[in-house]
Amino acid sequence: MSDKGDNRGVSRRTVLKAAGVAAAAGILQSPYVRAAKRELRLLHDQTTAESIKAMRDAAALYEKERGVKVIVDSVPSEELYPRILAGIRGGRPYDLTSIIFVAHMVSLAKEGQLVPVTSLINKYKWGKRILFPLDGVHYYFPWAYALCWLYYRKDLYAQLKLEPATNWNQYLENARKCMTTGASRRYGHTTPIGSNVATNWMTFGFMWAQGVTLFKDDWSLAINEPQVRKEAAAYLDFMSELYKVMPPGATQFGFASAMQQFGADQAAHAPYSGRMIEYLEQKAPNLADKYGIIPYPNSTGQRKAVNHGYKGILVYKTDMAEESMRFLEWWQEGPYIDFLHSAPLNYQPARLDIYDDPRWKADPLIKKHAEAVKTMRAFLSDDKLIIRSIDTEGPAPDLRPSKVFQSNVLAEMIQNRLLKNTPADACVDEAVTRMRQIIA
Amino acid sequence: MKSRHDWVIWIGFAAGLVLTFGLIVLPVLNGVWLSMHSAESFIATPHWVGFANYIKLFGNAEFWRATLNGVVYALVSVVLQLVLGVGFALVLNKSFPFRGIIRGLSILPYLLPTVVVGVTFQWMTDGSFGVITALTRSLGLGDIPWFESPSAAMASVILVSVWLWTPFVTVSCLAGMQSIPQALYEAAKVDGASNWSQFWHVTLPQLMHILSVVVLLRAIWMFNKFDIIWLLTKGGPLGATQTLPVLAYNKAFNLFDVGGGAAVATLGFILLSGIVAIYFRLTSEDRGK
Repeated sequence: MSDKGDNRGVSRRTVLKAAGVAAAAGILQSPYVRAAKRELRLLHDQTTAESIKAMRDAAALYEKERGVKVIVDSVPSEELYPRILAGIRGGRPYDLTSIIFVAHMVSLAKEGQLVPVTSLINKYKWGKRILFPLDGVHYYFPWAYALCWLYYRKDLYAQLKLEPATNWNQYLENARKCMTTGASRRYGHTTPIGSNVATNWMTFGFMWAQGVTLFKDDWSLAINEPQVRKEAAAYLDFMSELYKVMPPGATQFGFASAMQQFGADQAAHAPYSGRMIEYLEQKAPNLADKYGIIPYPNSTGQRKAVNHGYKGILVYKTDMAEESMRFLEWWQEGPYIDFLHSAPLNYQPARLDIYDDPRWKADPLIKKHAEAVKTMRAFLSDDKLIIRSIDTEGPAPDLRPSKVFQSNVLAEMIQNRLLKNTPADACVDEAVTRMRQIIA
Repeated sequence: MKSRHDWVIWIGFAAGLVLTFGLIVLPVLNGVWLSMHSAESFIATPHWVGFANYIKLFGNAEFWRATLNGVVYALVSVVLQLVLGVGFALVLNKSFPFRGIIRGLSILPYLLPTVVVGVTFQWMTDGSFGVITALTRSLGLGDIPWFESPSAAMASVILVSVWLWTPFVTVSCLAGMQSIPQALYEAAKVDGASNWSQFWHVTLPQLMHILSVVVLLRAIWMFNKFDIIWLLTKGGPLGATQTLPVLAYNKAFNLFDVGGGAAVATLGFILLSGIVAIYFRLTSEDRGK
């Protein structure tokens, strides 16, 4: 074989050309060039086709009106924080991102990555427990609640002559009775109990209603106080009774399980946000007008609660920070409602003025489920209603409650009671010990 | 003969070295460096803490449990993969109708993305809608608690892992079996060796070199396995399936303890390196004999 064949190899010129192209590409990605090009990068975690479209439509409109390109990236919630960190570490931070844990905001603010949005916050009136200021400064701009309450089957209740439960015994009784009718294998209640986010969000409403709190104002453990321990143990014993009317496999249940089981007549009661109604409309229209909503009751009927959840946006300290603020303000004044309409019942507005906005109210699903929307709105003004979540416990936004959330301490407290039949007091003991270790 | 394009080879070699250094050596060194620091996130300024993260881990029951879980998971799944893989290879090495198609199908699980397998298995075992659940109910076996108890969860994760990665062992062993000279079997038959004796005294010794590599690779991969465990159980219930990679991820990304996560990863790396070194030593001694 002659050496001529070797001419197919890489020439010096090709190498130099490739290096030049790579260098140019690198420069084009640099913050300086991006600023000169007036380009915003936005990362969010609402990954349904409708929400992605609504955000991209807003981006296109902003570019048309203001001449600033907005690049929209979407990732599942679990990948949000790693992606944000990777962007910062890689020298290309996003200008705006959504966020799933207040603790992430705390951490990013502590590292000087965020721009305050206090001026924008002050423009509007907000619902309960949806703002998370750090020493009076707002970095977190909420755009929706993700509260979680209980759904029940109105048709079954009518058939069995049941009243919506106001205490644990009544709830158990209702759940048991709902298993006795119909041809399908229906369970009384469903909720996840695995070591996952769904459990941490959906399953502790009964505990919050019972008056359990995790931290005192000095960040010592409130759950270690005798009375709170007693209430937590009572909650665990109630859950062990409820477990008997739940479908098998609850450690594997995720967010979708509750909707699927309720929609398929496999569970008569299920927790969720307004997304449940959207699901019923799409997948089980025969049940879309047969559901009722109640908050989680406590054991005696004196208190009620819903699980807290929130969706918000952060603005980053990039060279485009001012433009990001302008975009956020612009978005709030117009396309925000279109975005809310991409999941009209799931995206429960955090701004109270939205509930009176004719444009928001004009959505067909919001009109059709006006009664549910009224109940959802009432949760925000009911002073007696408890709104709590593990990750927002404590006197101020902090990493500690998030650590408790993410380490699944409370999920494992339930698992110890339900799966290993450990006495409730011992389960609480173990949870307290683990919480101490985690926040040490 | 020296080509005028030898420098391309050297550039390729240098690029390989740079990539190895940049993508393997540097991250490992960075991990070790991070493990001696305290940091809430990857963007936080790390503070030097020396060996504090390690000392904390050694006193942490969760770490020891994750180590034990990792050893149990790797050991049991590798042994099962090995036994089944060799067994399947023996069958597929025989002549039978449609052998080509069956051989093709046997590798299918290995070709499937892990996420597909994880989600499919969850659907199949779903307590309400799962096809396996429906089957066990119709057979009168009731509801099998696939993930409801700590031991069942570990068994389920191992079961899925064995199903997913046994084809690797099968294909490797099948390739090895096809290279064993037929004359060895004929000689064994002349000596009156039974099928079992042929397997034990001919097939297995001839496969030993392949098996030693397969065991090494599978053990490393299983001990470091993160995806399937995360997809199926996220380390639960009650930490029963939490292995060192899962613990490292949890610490670094969920518990705002990047240093602790790096320390777990470093200890996992050291443990695995030690085991691999011992394994190499033992297998090279065997070969020496």
